[in-house]
Amino acid sequence: MFFVGLDIGSSMTKVVIINEHDEVIVRILGPTGAEHRRLANKVMQDALQLADLTFDKISYVMATGYGRLNVPFADRQMSEITCQAAGVHTIFPGVKTAIDIGGQDAKGLKIDRGRLVDFVMNDKCAAGTGRFLEVLAETLGIRVEDFGNLSLQAKDKVVVNNICTVFARDEITARISEGKPIADVIAGVHDAIAGRVVNMVKRIKIEPEIVFTAGLATNIGVVKAMEQHTGFKVSIPPNPFTTVALGAAVLGKQIVFKSLEKGEPIKRKERSLEEARFFSSGEAK
Amino acid sequence: MPEIYEGLAKVGHILSDRSAAIQKFKAPDRKVVGYLCSYVPLEILTALDLLPFRILGDISEPITMVDRILPESFCPFMRSCIDSILKNKYSFLDGVIGIHSCDPQEKICHAFKSTVKYEFFPYIDMPATTHEWGREMFRRSLDAFKKSCETYVGREISKEALKASIERHNKQRALVRDLYSLKRADPPLISGSETLQVMMALGSIPLEEGNELLEAVIREVGARRGTQGGPGKKRILVYGACLDAVPLIKLIEDFDADVVMDDNCMGPRTYFKDVPLTEDPMDGLTARYLDLTCARTFKEAVVGEFKKDRKADLEVRYGHLAGYIKEWDVQGVIIQLVRFCDPFGYELPELKDYLNSLNVPNMYLELEYTTGSLASLRTRTQTFLETLG
Repeated sequence: MFFVGLDIGSSMTKVVIINEHDEVIVRILGPTGAEHRRLANKVMQDALQLADLTFDKISYVMATGYGRLNVPFADRQMSEITCQAAGVHTIFPGVKTAIDIGGQDAKGLKIDRGRLVDFVMNDKCAAGTGRFLEVLAETLGIRVEDFGNLSLQAKDKVVVNNICTVFARDEITARISEGKPIADVIAGVHDAIAGRVVNMVKRIKIEPEIVFTAGLATNIGVVKAMEQHTGFKVSIPPNPFTTVALGAAVLGKQIVFKSLEKGEPIKRKERSLEEARFFSSGEAK
Repeated sequence: MPEIYEGLAKVGHILSDRSAAIQKFKAPDRKVVGYLCSYVPLEILTALDLLPFRILGDISEPITMVDRILPESFCPFMRSCIDSILKNKYSFLDGVIGIHSCDPQEKICHAFKSTVKYEFFPYIDMPATTHEWGREMFRRSLDAFKKSCETYVGREISKEALKASIERHNKQRALVRDLYSLKRADPPLISGSETLQVMMALGSIPLEEGNELLEAVIREVGARRGTQGGPGKKRILVYGACLDAVPLIKLIEDFDADVVMDDNCMGPRTYFKDVPLTEDPMDGLTARYLDLTCARTFKEAVVGEFKKDRKADLEVRYGHLAGYIKEWDVQGVIIQLVRFCDPFGYELPELKDYLNSLNVPNMYLELEYTTGSLASLRTRTQTFLETLG
């Protein structure tokens, strides 16, 4: 049996296909762009091709993420926060706190034996998210992927007082013009992000084991700053971008298994991957 | 032409053009007076044949006009209401009642004075506590308000007329309680979004027409076998201030949940408590309106007692919620408050403590009062509902 988790995030779309033993068969990522529906169909087809599977072999499709309602072939939609809890618990069974910083938002999750019990999310603001780093990368003319290693060379990190993305950019430009080394500035930025997010997550009480996921978990500088602010070691999944999609697939599997155990029919949608079924003439361009 | 709409269809028709709904009844001796808050004693208006009309915001209308008179860091619901007024959507009103039930409402009275010229514009000052001196002050305010209304209309209200008006309003309150009792069933016979629409319609038409509408809706939904989706959905109570936006209720009911109860200014807060019929009807009005269970009035278990008993104080403030939770079999509470709502915002930790003491899962949503912010609210709402199991 195979289960699909499809996570349409604000920046990236992720697909994970697992088997009944929670083993990942395929994991793919692509930029989300503007056309969620068309992309959902395409990434699904790509994933099936890589897994050498046909759509009728898929037992359950769970859609999640910001674009979850735009997946017409999904059997069910669940929030990315619930899926994240299931995903990190699959990899780290002892997880109690998960921190997720993606392209558009930051979230904190309190998890008890795999079950989400509380959560916090940032307001509609780019501060403390991946977008914050992207804006600063543009300002500094440095690739955002290089931020992590550069920040490790910092000798005396600067203090970034502004947490607003726009004002922080001005502040950083001022620090650079004062002659502060780039590494010190970037380390300061990482510290500001971690400080902001950890303060938010403290509302639900931070307890180890802490798992850090999504885009910023690939930045070693932010990870170090996160450990400093939480006071605990932070675990990073091997694929921090796809834990939500993994959780979606796992939750789909649990739904199927629960129905099988009870001898009940599995609640699934009448679905097909044919484009015509979910692009009406008005939508298909 | 006979009325072709009945029950919930009539509710939809009224809400499609609220100003047309009230203007049908407008006449030289039946002027339409707008109000923004549940603390305005409508009984006084009704006794003088004035038609009260509840001014509402519009969550789907971009706020474009109000920045010239109000800052952005201001109650977005009030900003939306004033924006609608500045766009002449309420130009049919003969007057508006100002009231100091929260600071933004007091501030907008000044904004009104400098931007919109209504022929009738009384103001009700309010105490922030239920202490004896506060009751005396509120009584003086209501007496002055009554006098202003009488002067505007050109006749006095007799005790008997005011008592009769109170009885007519109490009848509407009883009907609203009957409507809400239909939400106790599983599944509830009327959804949260439908209920909110009925309550919004009540604020848009005269009292007697409102009572007829309620009777028709109760007949219609009473014959139902339940809302769509059947039993077993999560039963949610929505708590808030002036919640007049159906999309905010729909975003809960779009998932596997029914909004079976609420505690906000459009519903139980305004309608559940009757005005007592006292010898001097102004005594009953003073007591009932000052004792409304709203965050804007400080309440304590023993009025003026120096040594505080927090648990008893919380019970006085929120005890009614425990009753709602039990009687409507509520599984979770979603607190929806607009940004910059200081009275409700300040007591949020107390409210959460109280709900936690009842072991009722709860979640706070800060509202920007725009449809643009619904996507993030949807994620939080869905996640909260998923944590309920």
